[in-house]
Amino acid sequence: MSGAPLTQRICERFIRAACRRLPEDMRAERCREWAAELPAILDDPSIRPGLRRAVRALTFSAGIARTTRRLSRSRRGARPARASQWRDGAMRARPADVAVRATVGVAIWLVLVFIAIALGRAFPHLPGWLLPAGLVLAAGFDAFCLADIARAGQVRYLPKWAWALICLAQTPLGGILYLSIGRVGRARTVPPGSAPPGSAP
Amino acid sequence: MKLTGPLERVLRVLLADPSAPHYGYDLMKAAKLPSGTLYPMLARLQQEGLVDSEWEPQRQDAGGRPPRRYYRLTAEGARAARLELAQAPVPARRARPGPARPAPGGTR
Repeated sequence: MSGAPLTQRICERFIRAACRRLPEDMRAERCREWAAELPAILDDPSIRPGLRRAVRALTFSAGIARTTRRLSRSRRGARPARASQWRDGAMRARPADVAVRATVGVAIWLVLVFIAIALGRAFPHLPGWLLPAGLVLAAGFDAFCLADIARAGQVRYLPKWAWALICLAQTPLGGILYLSIGRVGRARTVPPGSAPPGSAP
Repeated sequence: MKLTGPLERVLRVLLADPSAPHYGYDLMKAAKLPSGTLYPMLARLQQEGLVDSEWEPQRQDAGGRPPRRYYRLTAEGARAARLELAQAPVPARRARPGPARPAPGGTR
C-alpha cells in the first residue's frame, strides 16, 4: 500500500499541470474535482493488482490533460482576448520575438566575455581585488535572478526550478538567458495587439 | 445534440436513475469511457443546461477524502436524453466519437 500515496501525488502533479491550461475562473475548481477522483481509482477494489490501479490513475490523468486542452481551446474560441487568458498564454510567445530576445541575451553575454578577455590582456598581472570583485558581482547577479524567479508568478518554457538551476550552473549566461527568454515581465501582461515592449532584457 | 456512441452510453447511465448523482470516475466505469472523452462531454452537456453538478458536502466519515463533484441530469436533460435515446437505433451506432474531433466553426 506504500505505493499508492506516491502514485496519487504524481497524478495530482500531472492534473495540476494540466489545469494550468484552463482559464483562471474554472482552474481551481476543476483541479479539485479531478484530484478528488484519484482516491476512488486508487482504492477501487474491482481493479485487481495494485499496479493496474496505478496505471489506471495515470491514464486518467492523461485523459485530464486531453480534457483541459479541449476545454481551453473551445473556451478560447468562444471568448477571445481577455487579460487573464493572455497571462495564461504567457507560456507561448511568438517564435520571432523569442529569437530576438535570445540573440540580445547571448550578445550581451559575448560582450561580457570580450570585456573579460580584454581586461586579461590589458593587465597581465591581474590586481588582487579583481577576482573577489568578480565573484561578488557574479553572486549578486545570481541572487538577483533567483529572487526574480522566486517572486515571479509564472516563467516561460521551463519550470521555475529548472531556470534556477540554469542560472546557478551557467553564471552569467544562465541568468542572462532567463532574463531575456524566461522572464514574464509586468509589462507583458498587457493584452496582445498593443505596442510590444522593447526586446532588450 | 448530436448523438454519438459515447454520448449515448453516458446518457443511458445517467437515465438509469435520473435523480442519482454520479461522480466522474463512477460514470467512466459505468459508460466504459476514458476520462479524456467523458469530461469534455460533461462540460458541454453542462453548458447546454442538460447536466447539473454539485459538490458533495464535506462529511466527517469520509476519512479525509476530498469532496467529490457529482453530476446528474437536469429535468430538461432527462427529457432531451429520453427523446434522443428513443430515436436512436437499438444497437449502439458505431459512430465516430464526436468530441474527439470537434467540428471547427460548427455548433460547438
